[in-house]
Amino acid sequence: MLEMIKELCSLPGISGREEKVREYIISKIDGYCEYKVDNLGNIIAFKKGTDPASKKVMIDAHMDEVGMIVTGIDSDGFIKFEQVGSVDSRVIIGRNVLVGDKGIPGVLGIKPIHLIKKDEEGNIPKNDDLYIDIGAANKEEAEKAVSLGDYIVFESDFVEFGSGFIKSKAIDDRAGCAVLIDIIRSDIPYDCLFSFTVQEEIGTRGAAAAAFDIDPDYAIVVESTTAADINDAKGEDRVCVCGEGCAVSFMDRGTVYSRDLYTRALDAAKELGIKAQYKTRVAGGNNARSIHKSRGGVKTLTLSIPTRYIHSPCCVCKYEDIESVKALVCAMAERLAK
Amino acid sequence: MEFKEVRELLEALCSADGTSGQENCAADTAEKLLAEFMPVSRDALGSVMGRKGEGKGIILDAHIDQIGLVVTGINENGFIKVAKVGGADIRVLTAAQVTIHGKKDIFGVITSVPPHLADEKDEGKALPFDKITIDAGMSKAELAEIVTPGDRITFNGPFDSLMGSRIVSPCVDDRAGVAAILRCLQLLKDKNTCPIEVMFSCQEETGGSGAAAGSFSTLSDEAIATDVSFASAPGVSKEKYRSLGDGALIGFAPSLDYEMSRKLTAIAKERGIKAAPEIMGGSTGTNCDDIQIARGGIKTALISIPIRNMHTAVEVADLSDIEETAKLMAAYIEERSKEYA
Repeated sequence: MLEMIKELCSLPGISGREEKVREYIISKIDGYCEYKVDNLGNIIAFKKGTDPASKKVMIDAHMDEVGMIVTGIDSDGFIKFEQVGSVDSRVIIGRNVLVGDKGIPGVLGIKPIHLIKKDEEGNIPKNDDLYIDIGAANKEEAEKAVSLGDYIVFESDFVEFGSGFIKSKAIDDRAGCAVLIDIIRSDIPYDCLFSFTVQEEIGTRGAAAAAFDIDPDYAIVVESTTAADINDAKGEDRVCVCGEGCAVSFMDRGTVYSRDLYTRALDAAKELGIKAQYKTRVAGGNNARSIHKSRGGVKTLTLSIPTRYIHSPCCVCKYEDIESVKALVCAMAERLAK
Repeated sequence: MEFKEVRELLEALCSADGTSGQENCAADTAEKLLAEFMPVSRDALGSVMGRKGEGKGIILDAHIDQIGLVVTGINENGFIKVAKVGGADIRVLTAAQVTIHGKKDIFGVITSVPPHLADEKDEGKALPFDKITIDAGMSKAELAEIVTPGDRITFNGPFDSLMGSRIVSPCVDDRAGVAAILRCLQLLKDKNTCPIEVMFSCQEETGGSGAAAGSFSTLSDEAIATDVSFASAPGVSKEKYRSLGDGALIGFAPSLDYEMSRKLTAIAKERGIKAAPEIMGGSTGTNCDDIQIARGGIKTALISIPIRNMHTAVEVADLSDIEETAKLMAAYIEERSKEYA
């Protein structure tokens, strides 16, 4: 699964431009399940279990990542852009990016610190003042390499470091995609439906259509969620903690989760010796936002990989937590489908 | 490939780390490259010193150190606390990737706050420096085996080719100057010149101690230092600063030797070397300031290479400007050699 996460994270796929991720996933699940691509670009897959399921369970992960999109080229050949998804300018200034299908290298420049007035020190440039420098001599040269609407992704390779940690762009939610692929490629006890969805980062849009189409009894959203176990953070301020297993959500900014599923997930983890933890802060949101209110309502559970610095070029998580998430997803899928 | 020689030199120099006071790796690389042209040595502070010929001639200087961070401690949760080495820019630290040069080199990420947890009142403000820590994915105990206070930290970043002859890398300041001097020596290789003394000075970013001590050991009465300067970019005025691709920037400043600056300008014009004046109102904020007042005083000139995003991990330069700087230094040495002969 590690190799697959590495390959998935390296693919460019901002919201609305998930095609390379979709092709990769299809290449991995083809022959292991029935699948279709819907009108929005979601992959909906049906995997036969050893036995038919008495309840329809949907397992979801999103294919898209946060990034940027080219909105203009100025008279000196600098690229203007808008963020796609929630990206704090503080984590992108001074970073390397790749623009468009050709992967044109560029950088987010900044006025040198030497030329900043004392009272402006530490001020981050306004979003409208940000730009990408691809080294073009002028507007005409830039236009040969870049077109309006081109996508922009972080240039941030996959690194294994520390005690079992990985670093990459787009761990949110390619790690979740890898978990789903891995389950599809294995034998499962009961029939199950899987959705690899588009456009989560711009408002959980793909999942709305996918959930309507699948019409599940239960849904499990497999995500990457904020771990704030950094610096001097203690206790619940950490939200969730790398190395302490699968994070289970009771509430976030998008969803009040089924108390029943939340309790059953924690019980299952305890019973089976799977490392799990509470997500201890009502923050963020994910595809559950769309799925839980689909049609007449869907009991939904979110199981997440604790991930530091999400929505930055350097997401960091612990590989063993991904294994814990996978184990709990499998256990819950089995219990809910039975 | 355009500017093949300069590109090779710069890429080799940028791939070796060397924060102020711990320049070993970059200095080793520079020393090896310099040794192709002259005998070399290392002085007490760690500057790379080279000399070709006997007696007085011309000193060429570029600084070998780069900005970075230094480990000051490890907190209970295993996050590394740091201080600045030189003028690291607080606005570009969060989410940067770094290498910690401990007992072995290890990878780390500078911590940041995801938008989901960010406090609205902090919007538009860089995280204060005391909140900057490094995540190396290890516990305090694990880190203590590898990392010691005083260990240096450098910013990671690819050496990428941008469009045309432009490149980006974390330590173009001042490996571009070192590359220009080495390229100048290539251009002069089969020529008879006056004595040349080369200093790849350490500790420029922390105040210029390397150049001060280094130039004391030289003999010559004139020096050319080459460093990077600001290139125009959004927010950096085109009227006040020169652009990438404008060539060698010849410094004119009260502290610089006016005759040398004028001679460099005349030679550039004569030989068709692309150059432009860069005017400063006092001293220069470069090694020139220390070289000028070393010993009983040394006549000093400055040639700058324009770069964008100085003191970030994405310093952008145009290889053509480095090549022109090398050509101008070589031409100056050729011309002056006639007078030394």
